[in-house]
Amino acid sequence: MKLGIVVKAVLGPLFAILAALLVGGLILFFIGLNPFRTYFELFKLGMGTHLGITESLKKMAPLLIISAGLIIVFKAGIWNIGGNGQFLIGAIFVGGLAPLLINGSSPYLYFFLLALMGFLGGALWIVIPAILKAKYEINEIIVTMMMDFVALNFTAFLVRGPLIAHPEYFPQTRLIPVGQRLPFIPFTRIHIGLIVGLAVVILAHYFMKKTTWGYEFRLLGENKKAAQYAGVNIKKVTIIAMLISGGFAGLAGANDILGIKGAFQAEWNPGYAFSAIPLVFLARFNGIAVIPLAYFFSFLAIGGEFMSRAANVPVFFVQVLEALMLIFFGVTEYMQKKGKLFWKS
Amino acid sequence: MSEMRETVIEMRGITKRFHGLVANDCIDFDVKRGEIHALLGENGAGKTTLMNILSGMYHADEGKVYVRGKEVTFHSPQEALRSGIGMVYQHLTLVPTLSVRENILLGTNKKFVLPKRDVEKKIKEIAREYEINVEPGVKVGQLSAGEQEKVEILKLFYRGSEILILDEPTSVLTPLEVDDFFKILKITSDAGKSIIFITHKLEEALSISDRITVLRQGRKAGEIDLQSFSQETKCEIPETIVKMMFKEAEFVEEIENIACDKPSLSDEVVLNLEDVTAKNDRGAQALKRVSFSLHRGEVLGIAGVDGNGQKELAEVIVGQRKVSSGRIFLQGCDITNMPVRFINERGVFYITDDRMKEGCVGNFSLAENAIFRSYKKEPFCKKKAILHIEAIEAHGNELIKKFSIKASNAKVMVRTLSGGNIQKLVVARELSHKPVVLVCNKPTHGLDVMTTQFIRNEIRRQSRQGISVLLISSDLDEIMQVSDRIGVLFKGELLDILPRQKATKENIGSLMLGLKNKVQA
Amino acid sequence: MEILRSILSEPFFVILLGGTLTASIPIILAAIGESLVEKGGVLNLGLEGEMLIGAFVAFVIALNTRNLFWGLFSGIAAGLLVALAFGYLVIYLKVNQIVAGLGIWIFGIGITSLLFRVFFGRRFPIARGITSKTAIPYLSQIPYIRSVFNQHIVAYVALALIPLAWWLLYKTNFGLHIRAVGENPVAADAHGVNVYRTRYLTVMLEGILAGLAGAFLSICDLSFFVDNMTLGRGFIAIGIVMLANWNPSRIFYGAFLFGVFYSLTSGLQIAGVNVPREFLLMLPYVAVIVVLCIFARNTRLPAAFCLPYERE
Repeated sequence: MKLGIVVKAVLGPLFAILAALLVGGLILFFIGLNPFRTYFELFKLGMGTHLGITESLKKMAPLLIISAGLIIVFKAGIWNIGGNGQFLIGAIFVGGLAPLLINGSSPYLYFFLLALMGFLGGALWIVIPAILKAKYEINEIIVTMMMDFVALNFTAFLVRGPLIAHPEYFPQTRLIPVGQRLPFIPFTRIHIGLIVGLAVVILAHYFMKKTTWGYEFRLLGENKKAAQYAGVNIKKVTIIAMLISGGFAGLAGANDILGIKGAFQAEWNPGYAFSAIPLVFLARFNGIAVIPLAYFFSFLAIGGEFMSRAANVPVFFVQVLEALMLIFFGVTEYMQKKGKLFWKS
Repeated sequence: MSEMRETVIEMRGITKRFHGLVANDCIDFDVKRGEIHALLGENGAGKTTLMNILSGMYHADEGKVYVRGKEVTFHSPQEALRSGIGMVYQHLTLVPTLSVRENILLGTNKKFVLPKRDVEKKIKEIAREYEINVEPGVKVGQLSAGEQEKVEILKLFYRGSEILILDEPTSVLTPLEVDDFFKILKITSDAGKSIIFITHKLEEALSISDRITVLRQGRKAGEIDLQSFSQETKCEIPETIVKMMFKEAEFVEEIENIACDKPSLSDEVVLNLEDVTAKNDRGAQALKRVSFSLHRGEVLGIAGVDGNGQKELAEVIVGQRKVSSGRIFLQGCDITNMPVRFINERGVFYITDDRMKEGCVGNFSLAENAIFRSYKKEPFCKKKAILHIEAIEAHGNELIKKFSIKASNAKVMVRTLSGGNIQKLVVARELSHKPVVLVCNKPTHGLDVMTTQFIRNEIRRQSRQGISVLLISSDLDEIMQVSDRIGVLFKGELLDILPRQKATKENIGSLMLGLKNKVQA
Repeated sequence: MEILRSILSEPFFVILLGGTLTASIPIILAAIGESLVEKGGVLNLGLEGEMLIGAFVAFVIALNTRNLFWGLFSGIAAGLLVALAFGYLVIYLKVNQIVAGLGIWIFGIGITSLLFRVFFGRRFPIARGITSKTAIPYLSQIPYIRSVFNQHIVAYVALALIPLAWWLLYKTNFGLHIRAVGENPVAADAHGVNVYRTRYLTVMLEGILAGLAGAFLSICDLSFFVDNMTLGRGFIAIGIVMLANWNPSRIFYGAFLFGVFYSLTSGLQIAGVNVPREFLLMLPYVAVIVVLCIFARNTRLPAAFCLPYERE
């Protein structure tokens, strides 16, 4: 019985992924690229090599952390699509502050403070959309998107202006020495961001399922009128859900600066939020399901990156696949509801 | 005379199933030219389904439909309309943001650019012929329910429909509006048009129709030609029909006579409203200086036509809507504009009129729905943070048993339950908190007879145990049946409060229409 | 003082005004289309993606044919095609409109960036000399406002579409159907209005306009294509539709305001205002937020907004 539910839950996203790969293959074929070779290289380089697997596991961390926030906010029925901007602000907070905090304190305090800074940076960037949404019901999709572009320009200003390390070189913040970055998980070359990501997403899952706040968020997401009827303070809950999701996006930024980049560079915009949106939908906002999907998405990103060199297929192909997965996910949701796909859910 | 009339509609052996449930089981039905044919039965008897098949909204699984002797199959309401069959649905199918003219043009106009002058002329002509008065330029949303009903009929005339199907047209009308409406129907049938009148009110069927067909549980229970009865035998008709509608043993315990068992009003005031004024969602004034006192253990009925401030009244009391001026006191404590939870904790609970969209969440389990107001309390959570799933489910199962809700267990999703069981859940949840004041807004709207009686009895029973009930309803029968005192809300004003003994359908009805401000003592 | 004088000088003002109008055209086109679909009860978040695809296809075709018409036409066709796909998803398959919209948006970014590299590699071709401005005789001589009457032909079309869209929505049978379908699809269906067809048609019109908006951006305004070049204009258009309360006649104000701030970003740089470039680039987005905050509080959405329609 329990197994049946799991199988049923897996089939939908699986179908969406296969359909996306199929349509993606057709696109490749029509623009004159060899789909078989592309997919072969993609899987070989992304999953078949030690490097591919390590890099994929590393890249999971930001996806997991952003997804943790998106699960909460999407489940509360609020569409924060400006995760990218919140990510960048969190990253630049850490990139700017880390060099100042290096000396003196214990490493635990240092990492804790920086994580907090990243979180606060991301949360700060969603304060305006959150207030406008809670107070005046101004559509958060538009406002978070606008804030995304503001963040892009604001971080560009900071990294070229006040926070620039060496004005004569490529604009970036002061490099954090390797010794001051996130430590590796023992016996691996993967920094502990992955553990943080896993912990955060599992936490978010049980937070939504087992706590009174999670209950309030779900109630709001299912039906705003019912939430009001049940005495939920809608404004407060809206703002908190949005702050959490912004904060997690910022924390992901902190992770990337402290774990991988070491500094905030101009023009750097990895666009994790674009991937995280299809990802959490495919996971049906379920934190446990996010984990394998996050691996799959980061494998796609890494495989795509390696493949772009090997098979000469631009890395943007991966973004096309992700978009197709999101679209086909919508289709499978409908078909499962109608009982046209496998069976009714 | 009636034998001479030609048969315009004939339905033979109509069967319709929904997800395995039989809604119509081999029903025969016919309509003659110029007759008013009532289709009578309680909620869920299959009346609307049968007529939706005739109007092209649904397709019959089995059976045939003949219009003027020719067999037809309608694939859409459009095709039925072309054959002269038009239906007015129970939930009016007008678009509130469009004007009367635009609503009439909707679906009838073929020209690319909307015509104006010709249409208004034609509308006025028809309006004169059938004695319907409406302004073509007014937005439908600004009209009363009675006027909207007339616009629907006007629209059918405009399209040239010869057969009119009216689904519970009087359910939103006041008694006086009903009389007015019936007059229009008489004129219409005299003009040679046929009317099918769907209703669950026996009295109305008897007063307006030429023939009555009774449906029970998806089957045809019988047909009565009122003309075939003589003056002497006429008094037997109601009894015959009641037997057809309910057969035996389906009667629920009657509510005891209220006038006898409640001689005096308690002196203790529980809830007190002083000059309460509030706005509706669109920012217009919805409540105007409403003042009243609710005494311990009484049922205060608030009658009124829908949209006269009922929802807003309920919402300001329970804290879901802000009061723009005035004060609300609960047992002496000022609860004006306090949060919902604050008011809940002091004992005010609310059975909303919108059980599907407000009173519960379809994608939550029954158990989760049952803790709407108590999820932050022991034993449902520990330290106000972690939900205690077992306790929540046990509570759900308890409510299922206590209120005989038809659900296999507390884990089922509420969306899979029937409307009646969802309402029982809402009632059960609100009562489980032992309210001091219970606000009910249309608590039995759209429910079957059994559940309706169950809920009305429950309200009476609770009030006798000391709970004060504010019963807001547009169903005058319900108000008369359950209340100790009756007030009327009209355009946001509370016109008068009468003791039950002095209230009659006539004087309450005229207050509901705003024809009077007070009933003379 | 110096700066103020240079801003108020005639040539500068002319450039600013002309730039404002040019910048507002894609927003006007996209917002008109979006207002029609939204009035019909559909939210199209894929607008940005449709614009990008329109911009890319128009650019590629214009570059190869060296013909403005074929460029615009192919941009429109591409927009229409994507919109049809969107319509099929949300109207026929009843996919969640937010999911489908976000999907089309991300797809638009991905596919255009992918194809650009496949077609051009690391080159950045510029489509020169394909389009020119059409000056209206006499009017284009009036000091200060002369640039308003010296615009691309598409700009005049876009401006003319504003009253046309209003007329379509409020004075024609099709417009009546759109409004009914967005407010009460059940009622519209009961009266014989084909809900699906009406919504498909609005989505198609929207696709045409989004494609044209993208094409204008890539071949009339800029003459080149870069990744994600719409820079949120699709979302801005959606915001402006809310600002205009779904009335096409009010779209112009919002779009014009965006245009002012957009042309100010280059104008103030030319005028030598000593503000970091990045802050100027933020201006249009900040302006949209501020204006939404002032004018779009608690707006009333069409009643059937974002809800798929299903009979029975």
